Amino acid sequence: MIKRGLAYAVLVLGCLIAIVPFAITTLASLKTMPEIVQDVLALPATPAWGNYAEAWEQGRFSRFFLNSTVVAIAVVIPSVVFSSMTGYAFARFRFRGSNAIFGYLLLGMVVPLQAMVVPLFYLLRELNMLDSLWALILPQIALSMSFGTLLMRQTFASVPKDIVEASVLDGASSWQILWQVMFPLSRPLIGTLGLLFFIWTWNEFLLPLVVNIDPDYHTLPVGLLYFQQRWTSNMPLIAAGATIIFVPLILIFMMFQKQLIRGLTEGALKG
Amino acid sequence: MRPHSPEPGVLAGEPAIAAGFTASSRRRAGPRWEPYLYLLPGVVVFTLFVVIPIVAALAISLTAWNGISWDTATFVGIDNYIQAFEEPRFWTALWHNLILIPYFVILPTILGLAPAALVHQMKLRGAALFQAGLFLPYIMPGVLIGVVWRWMLNPIFGPVNSVLEDIGFDPPTWLADFTWALPTIGFIGAWAAYGFCYVVLVAGIQKIPVDLYDAARLDGANGWQEFTAVTLPGLRREIAVVLTVNLINALRAFDVVKATTDGGPGDSTTVLALFMMNSLDGNRAGYAIAIALFLAVVTLVLSLAVLKLFGDRDD
Repeated sequence: MIKRGLAYAVLVLGCLIAIVPFAITTLASLKTMPEIVQDVLALPATPAWGNYAEAWEQGRFSRFFLNSTVVAIAVVIPSVVFSSMTGYAFARFRFRGSNAIFGYLLLGMVVPLQAMVVPLFYLLRELNMLDSLWALILPQIALSMSFGTLLMRQTFASVPKDIVEASVLDGASSWQILWQVMFPLSRPLIGTLGLLFFIWTWNEFLLPLVVNIDPDYHTLPVGLLYFQQRWTSNMPLIAAGATIIFVPLILIFMMFQKQLIRGLTEGALKG
Repeated sequence: MRPHSPEPGVLAGEPAIAAGFTASSRRRAGPRWEPYLYLLPGVVVFTLFVVIPIVAALAISLTAWNGISWDTATFVGIDNYIQAFEEPRFWTALWHNLILIPYFVILPTILGLAPAALVHQMKLRGAALFQAGLFLPYIMPGVLIGVVWRWMLNPIFGPVNSVLEDIGFDPPTWLADFTWALPTIGFIGAWAAYGFCYVVLVAGIQKIPVDLYDAARLDGANGWQEFTAVTLPGLRREIAVVLTVNLINALRAFDVVKATTDGGPGDSTTVLALFMMNSLDGNRAGYAIAIALFLAVVTLVLSLAVLKLFGDRDD
């Protein structure tokens, strides 16, 4: 079965090409600059953990990490709650203007952030929100509404009607049905939605680049960009900074691999 | 990173919503204004931070404005658009986006399709494991991908050139080279996308009915004929999706370019989104927004065209 062997070889090669750049970056983060220049692929004599301490403190990655985490939490939770509410409204009720309002909420999927980010800057300036975490949180909740509404409407519409009817007969209010019946029943998809919101927020670059000039309010991607510009030839330090960003993503990916792959590919199919 | 639907109508095409609810449960649901209360928080935040910026973008693109005080804004009609079209560097930037298309769109689709078909035809096991490894780059932020590859391709101490020199090649300086910089960014884009293409296409192949393959085999089709007669047509929808997503990424390319070359050397890798952001620094808000809107329209039209061309022909 030489053919099968070759096919496996192609797959293994594909995987290696995808993963190796990250592995070499982490390797470089544990070396000193002379060690990199001497032999870039060799293991270090002793792991240079000091690079992480330096990136974390002098490079201010501690601050960027904190900002990214706060923004991610502050975006994901309200986005999931609000999309559940809008999705529920469309799945559960028939009302005047429902189609128009649904189409209105999908507008966010047609116009890219690139076209909104400049006016958003001026709007946030009027609201005195530039150089603050609010400038990242509020717009990203808003940007989540299109996809969130679409997904939650579909999810709630597929909840079996008997279950809902039984709760109605038990005298549950529609608010209780949403949070005590529908929400727990849809947990897997809500989990996926939360994960997608998390990744999108964690990775967002253009918005923080434009609205927050003050490094105190940078998130990890923007922080990494300026960090790279400042320490151009200090490879170990840049590699340590890069590793700080992708390790949490790899951990989350390993934990929720199936959900994430499904969500992101189906999200793309929907998008 | 958020997905952008080039065609919301397709998405809204699910079967009757609220199908799960009978009239009786709906009647007992409460007062008539109740659904509007559920919509309120989402619609308010969406209006403030998405709709108002969109409307403002349209308005500002028709003005000359220094971006500072509203009094200085004067209506100039489509002047900003005309200015952009008369600027040679605008067309150069757009041309760079077009050059990226084969790398960002076609290359990763082929690189994903070939192993996907192989796995299916040979019934290889462990597909899930490969899936995870291949998919990894797709969840990473563009800036990180740029930073990682900038170091990988560093001409002096980067691993790629070290290895190439060790085995006797004389490699170019990649991102620092006028001729190579743009194709190199193209390869980075292909690298970031091929795993995603693979995963979507593998999922699509699994949905192709087995009897189609059986019938082809009965007719004496060989592996290649099976691929062209059954797999490719069966994957038309997935291929359309993959091409569209990749195309949008090629036209909107920004993060990776910003982190690798920032448009250089010279102007050799300045793509339209970067050109837009750079003209913003010159306090020409209306001009920059006009370019962004132009790019949004081009992206929408081209991705709709791809979807129409490949997908939904018989659905």
